[in-house]
Amino acid sequence: MGSKPLRRTPGRYALGALAAAGTVLAATACSTPEGGGGDGGAEGPFTIGVSNGFIGSEWREQMLSTLEDAFAGYQDEGVVDELVVESADVDVNGQIQQIRNLIRSDVDAIIVNPNSPTALDQVFAEAAEQGIRIVAIDQAVESEHVTNVVIDQAEWASISAEWLAEEVGEGGEIIAVNGIDGHPANEDRWEGAQAVFDEAGVEVVANDFAEWDQSKGQTVTRDLLTGNPDVDGVFVQDGMALGAFQALQAEEKVGEIAMTGEARVGYMKQWAEQREENGDYSSIGVPNPPSVSVSALHVVVRMLQGEELAADSLDGNSLFLPIPDPVTDENFDERFDEVADEPDAYAVDHAITREEAGAYFE
Amino acid sequence: MSTPSRTGGPPPKAAGPPPLPARAGRALLSARMPTVAVAALLAATVAASAALQPGFFSPYGLTSSFATFLPLATIAAAQTVIVLGGGIDLSIGAVVTLSSAVSVVLMQGDDARLPLALAAGLATGAACGLLNGLVVAGLRLQPIVATFATGSMFGGAALLVLPKPGGTASPLLTEAYRMVVLAYIPVPAVLLLLLWLAWRVLRRHRFGQYLYAVGGDAGAAYTSAVPVSAVRVLSYTLGGLIAALAGTALLADSGAGDPTLGTELTLGSIAALVIGGTRLRGGSGGVGGAVTGAIVLSLIQGLVFFAGVPTDAREFVYGCVIIAAIALAGLLTARAAQRPAFQGANR
Repeated sequence: MGSKPLRRTPGRYALGALAAAGTVLAATACSTPEGGGGDGGAEGPFTIGVSNGFIGSEWREQMLSTLEDAFAGYQDEGVVDELVVESADVDVNGQIQQIRNLIRSDVDAIIVNPNSPTALDQVFAEAAEQGIRIVAIDQAVESEHVTNVVIDQAEWASISAEWLAEEVGEGGEIIAVNGIDGHPANEDRWEGAQAVFDEAGVEVVANDFAEWDQSKGQTVTRDLLTGNPDVDGVFVQDGMALGAFQALQAEEKVGEIAMTGEARVGYMKQWAEQREENGDYSSIGVPNPPSVSVSALHVVVRMLQGEELAADSLDGNSLFLPIPDPVTDENFDERFDEVADEPDAYAVDHAITREEAGAYFE
Repeated sequence: MSTPSRTGGPPPKAAGPPPLPARAGRALLSARMPTVAVAALLAATVAASAALQPGFFSPYGLTSSFATFLPLATIAAAQTVIVLGGGIDLSIGAVVTLSSAVSVVLMQGDDARLPLALAAGLATGAACGLLNGLVVAGLRLQPIVATFATGSMFGGAALLVLPKPGGTASPLLTEAYRMVVLAYIPVPAVLLLLLWLAWRVLRRHRFGQYLYAVGGDAGAAYTSAVPVSAVRVLSYTLGGLIAALAGTALLADSGAGDPTLGTELTLGSIAALVIGGTRLRGGSGGVGGAVTGAIVLSLIQGLVFFAGVPTDAREFVYGCVIIAAIALAGLLTARAAQRPAFQGANR
C-alpha cells in the first residue's frame, strides 16, 4: 500500500491514526462499565417491560392485550405502576436493542417473547447485572439469568400426535406440516410428535414447513398431497390447520384423510360445520394459550416481591405450565360455545390464577 | 458546517497553505464523511437522544449504544463498497448469518479457538462475496436477482452448518466487546473508527479510485483501461469480507449463534447507505456516510421508543421518520451527486 512516493494525504494520517488507535487499544487497561440501574427491591410499585419481536399475528396480539388487562388489575392495587411495551417486527439485533431500551427505562422486570433461544444471552446478562428480573414466555431461552414460563412443546405436540396415531392405526402413513425449520419450538414439537409416531408404528412419508402461516399451510399441504395422494393422515401444527383443512377440502378428502386440528375459532367453525354435515368427522385441537403472558406476569410479580421459586417447580431454568385440556369431539360443543363470537384467528386461551402461580413458590 | 453548495468539490487550487481551520474543514469535506445532510441528521438525532433518553451519555448508555450501532454500521459499509462499484448485494444479510454460523460452530465458547474461528468466518464471507462477484461480473447476471438467489443459498448453508440456534461465542470476544478504553470510550466505537480509517486508506489506494470509476461509468472506465470485471469481483469479495466482520460483531453482541442472526440486516444496510448519501446507481458516496447513516437509523429506532409513541403507532412513526430522513438526504445530496462521479480518479 505504501510503495508510492509518500505524500501528505489523509490516507497517511489514517494509517498513522490506525497505528495509534491500535497502540491505545493494546496499552490501555480495559474495563467493563458498571450499570447504575435499580436494585429491584421488594418495595414497588414495579415497572415492567415487555419485549415482543414479532407482530402481525393474532396470537401475539392476544398475548399482549390479555397481559395489559391483567396488568391493570395489579395497577389498581398499587403493586405496579407502568407497563413499557416494546413490540415490533425485529430480528435478533433489533430485539437486543428493544431490551437495551427497556434496561435504560429503568424497568424492574422484563417479560420477553424471544426471537432466539441463544442469541439474546449477552443482553440478558446485561439486564441481570442491573438487577432486572427476566421471564421468557412462549419460547424457552438458555440463559441462566432468565426464568422460562412456557408450556412443554414436545408434550404439546405429542397430544395431537397420539390422537392421529390412533386414527390412522399401526402401519398408517402420514404427511407432516411443521413450522419453521431450525426454530427451537418447532424442533421440540417435532421431536415429541416423532417419538409418538415411532412408538405407534406410523410412517411419516413426507415432512415440510409452512412457517405457522395459514395460507402457506394450505399450499404446503396441497403440494404434499399431490406427491402422496394415498396417505391416511396429516399432522399439522397450530396456526396452519385451517389452511391444511382447506387443502383437504379442495381435494375432497375431508373425512377421508384424518388431520390434527387447532384450538382456534376459524378451524373450529369448519369443525362445527363438518359435525353437522357428516356426523363422524373427528378432530382434535390442543390449545397453545396466548395468555402465557398473564401466567408469566403472576410469576414475575411474586419474584419482584421477593418470593423464591421452589426448586421442584423448575426443570433447569424452565417453569412448565400445565397444557390446557384439548378440544375434542366429546367436549366440542361446550368449548365452541365459549369462543364462537370471537374473530376467526382467536386462540382458545387459558392462564393460571395468581393463587396457582403462588404454588410454584416456596 | 456553513460551506456553500459545492459540497466536497475538487480541492481549490489555493496559492499558499490555507489557514488551519480551512484545511481541517476541507479535509472533512474531502473525506465526504458528513455530507451536510447526514451530519445534520446525526446532530439532530444525537441531540434528541440526549434530551429524551435517560443516561444516554452514561457509560452503560454509550457502551450499549455503540454495541448496537456496530453490526449495522459494518454491514452498511460492506454494502457501500459493493454499491459504489455499481452493484448491489441482497445476499449480504445471509453472508453475515453464514459467516457467523461458521465462526460460532468452530469457536465452541473456547478462547483458544477464537483466532481460527474468526479467520474461518472471514474466509467464508470473502468466499461468498467472491461467488457473488463471479456470478455478477462473470456470468453477467443482474446483481439484484443473482444475489437474491445466492442469498437463499447462503441462508440454506447457514442452516446446514448450524441447524438450530446454539453454540456459544468465546467469552473473550463478548467481554472485550463490552469494555471501554480510556475509562469512557466503548470498544465498539474504537472499532467503528478503525473501520472508517481503513476505508480512508482503501479509498486512496488505486482500487478505491477504480471502484468509483467503474460505478460511475463502467464504459468510460473500460476505455480508460480500468479492469472493470476484476474491480467488480473484488468489490463483492471485499463486501463479503466486511459482512463477515459484521457477523463477528453480531456474535460478540449476542453471545451465541443463531441461523437467522443477520438475515434481516440487508434492507437496513441499504437504508443506511442511502441516508448516508451514497447513490444506488453507484460511483458516488462513501463508507463514512453509510456508517453515519447506520447510526442515525439506530438512534431513530431508540428515539421513537423514548419519545413515548404508543406501541401500536411505533412502526408507523418509525417508517415516517425514515422516509423523511431519506428524503432529506436525497434533497441535500442531489447537487453533490451531479458532480463528475469519479473525482478520485484524476487526482
